[in-house]
Amino acid sequence: MDVGEKDKYELEKRNDNSLNYQTSGMSSAWQFGGSNLTSTPMSLVSSDNPLVIGSSSASASMGDSFCSNLWEHPSNSQNLGFCEINVQNGASSSNAMGIGRGGPASVRSSIDRPFEMGWNAASSMLKGGIFLPNASGVLPSSLSQLQTDSAFIERAAKFSSFNGGNFSDIVNPFGIPEAMGVYARGVGLMQGPQDVYTISGVKSISGVESQRSKLMTTEASRDLQAENRATQESPLKNERNSGSLVRSNEEAKQGNGGSGNESNEAESSGGAGGHDEPSALDGTAGESSAKVLSSKKRKRIVQEAEVDQAKGSQSPVEAAKDGAENQQKGDQNQTTMVNKTTAKHGKQGSQASDPPKEEYIHVRARRGQATNSHSLAERVRREKISERMKFLQDLVPGCNKVTGKAVMLDEIINYVQSLQRQVEFLSMKLATVNPRVDCNIEGLLAKDIIQSRAGPSTLGFSPDLSVGYPPLHPSQPGLCPGGFPVMGNNADIIRRTLSSHFTPMTGGFKEPNQLSNAWEDELHNVVQMNYGTSTASDSQEVNGSQPSGHTKVEL
Amino acid sequence: MNNPHHLNPTSLKSRFTTRFLRALTKIRAQKPISSSSPTEIFRRYRRIKVAADKSMAYSVRSRRIWSRAMLWKLRSRSYRRQDPCSGRRSGKTSQAIMKKSSNENTTTRREDGVGFVEEADELRQLVPGGETMNLCNLLDETAHYIKCLTTQVQVMKKIADFYSF
Repeated sequence: MDVGEKDKYELEKRNDNSLNYQTSGMSSAWQFGGSNLTSTPMSLVSSDNPLVIGSSSASASMGDSFCSNLWEHPSNSQNLGFCEINVQNGASSSNAMGIGRGGPASVRSSIDRPFEMGWNAASSMLKGGIFLPNASGVLPSSLSQLQTDSAFIERAAKFSSFNGGNFSDIVNPFGIPEAMGVYARGVGLMQGPQDVYTISGVKSISGVESQRSKLMTTEASRDLQAENRATQESPLKNERNSGSLVRSNEEAKQGNGGSGNESNEAESSGGAGGHDEPSALDGTAGESSAKVLSSKKRKRIVQEAEVDQAKGSQSPVEAAKDGAENQQKGDQNQTTMVNKTTAKHGKQGSQASDPPKEEYIHVRARRGQATNSHSLAERVRREKISERMKFLQDLVPGCNKVTGKAVMLDEIINYVQSLQRQVEFLSMKLATVNPRVDCNIEGLLAKDIIQSRAGPSTLGFSPDLSVGYPPLHPSQPGLCPGGFPVMGNNADIIRRTLSSHFTPMTGGFKEPNQLSNAWEDELHNVVQMNYGTSTASDSQEVNGSQPSGHTKVEL
Repeated sequence: MNNPHHLNPTSLKSRFTTRFLRALTKIRAQKPISSSSPTEIFRRYRRIKVAADKSMAYSVRSRRIWSRAMLWKLRSRSYRRQDPCSGRRSGKTSQAIMKKSSNENTTTRREDGVGFVEEADELRQLVPGGETMNLCNLLDETAHYIKCLTTQVQVMKKIADFYSF
């Protein structure tokens, strides 16, 4: 067992696990939708996974560490679970976002690349592609459209309010112009695609994703972005109407492209591309819309993926126009976003255009989904559950390859059972073992365990036997008080010795003569034994290794 | 040489370690270790197990549903042993607390439309206090519970190794 500090260990563990967990989680999200709908999306999913893996790990690790911190803080822990507390939660997530803010430009560019790659790869395969609301740089075309949509601005404002601190923090550093202000909030999303994700009102998601946004700044962020977009799409899909979804996507796009100049450029380039796509999108959108009507979240994902794919295929073309990656990213995002938007706008005539608004969680019904408040709430709940399942996947070792909630739950159950059994077994072991030192065990063990030093065996020897042994060889570091006077109070001596010279003995334990006796006595009364033999042992060399070994056997 | 990296003294691990060690010393002081009859050992084992659970639940305080449920269970059990009357009384208050906590968290268990009822039920049985949680909170509590369990196992392993090396 890793003896390192708990925090570090957890962090490392999470980092390691996140690599697997995130990828698996992400890939499962991808495959999830694909498997349900058609074979095509599945193949597409697999291709996208490699891209996702890299980024997801980074974000996942951060997310996990963040989540672990949340565990420790009761106030925040509530946030994790409850989306309603949007504003307050934003503070915690804003911290995560702070990091993301640091490198918006780099993040965006990094995001663009993977996104572009992802799109190129996926476009050919996925029909609809996965709609990534956070598509960075998709702002341009969508932006223009959005600007005309005052309702969208209102929603964007709401949208930003959901993320609480995240948005506000994000907006300022970018210095995005007023017109873009609303959309610029989406920029924060870029770094934290989760922000868009959280629009749906799922706090946990935002919390986790905000952490991911932290990682966004890293190189892996690119992949993560692509990944996040995909994941974001799924939750977003579930929770929004087509109209609102489109708008949110636009917001995300704008946010992504947000870095001011980049977004502007992207907008211009994207705008051109966007217009071209709508026609193509309509065709795909039609298909997707039909599918969307199923009310299944997975289908949505696939549909949107298909739509996105269509957009994605177009985006590369657009990308060719713009040399800059950002622009390309923007194009991709924008075109995809725009296409989707336009397609959706076209379709929206028939569909409910006004997303239902709930009091607490501002969840928007997805396109084709019932706008009934119950189903919306259900969708939100499902999102929460899937988020938590992903987190658990990280906690439980060996669950990365497992896909599917049922199997995951079984794994979790087995793991919890095994842990409980381990506790029982260890308590039985502790009941049978004989304590060597009763008095100062607490302090000694506390130091040892909390500091998680390696080699508990070394510790076991030194404190008991070395106490009160002036003639201890110098090889015994720290424990030989050097003429330590024999004292009557065992406990005091032990404590003093241990506290002052507590160091793990590396085995070279010197015992006075009568080692065997000392060992035997030690079992019953170590300290007394030490005192008894200390006088006689001065002259004698003690070969600690052997007696130690024997003692071990005896013990 | 001490570990240069000192764990947060207020971390779950340190809190649990301190409490558990204290309980262990108390248990050891109660009876001589030399007695090795199976019943004695078994009794000690039960006591140690309870002490481990208790220390963990106390380390977490009431921040978590499962810790609250566990504390309530332990308290009611101890009360029942000491005094049946007080047990009833405490049981009532404890139940009131449990109900309150359950109301706070969620409605009674139900299918959340996700379709994992069987596994969820099994998980509910494993996690203390799980019957009163919906799937969403159940997963939350499970994650925290797993984290605490791993900490517990780590610490206990170290203690056992220390003793037996």
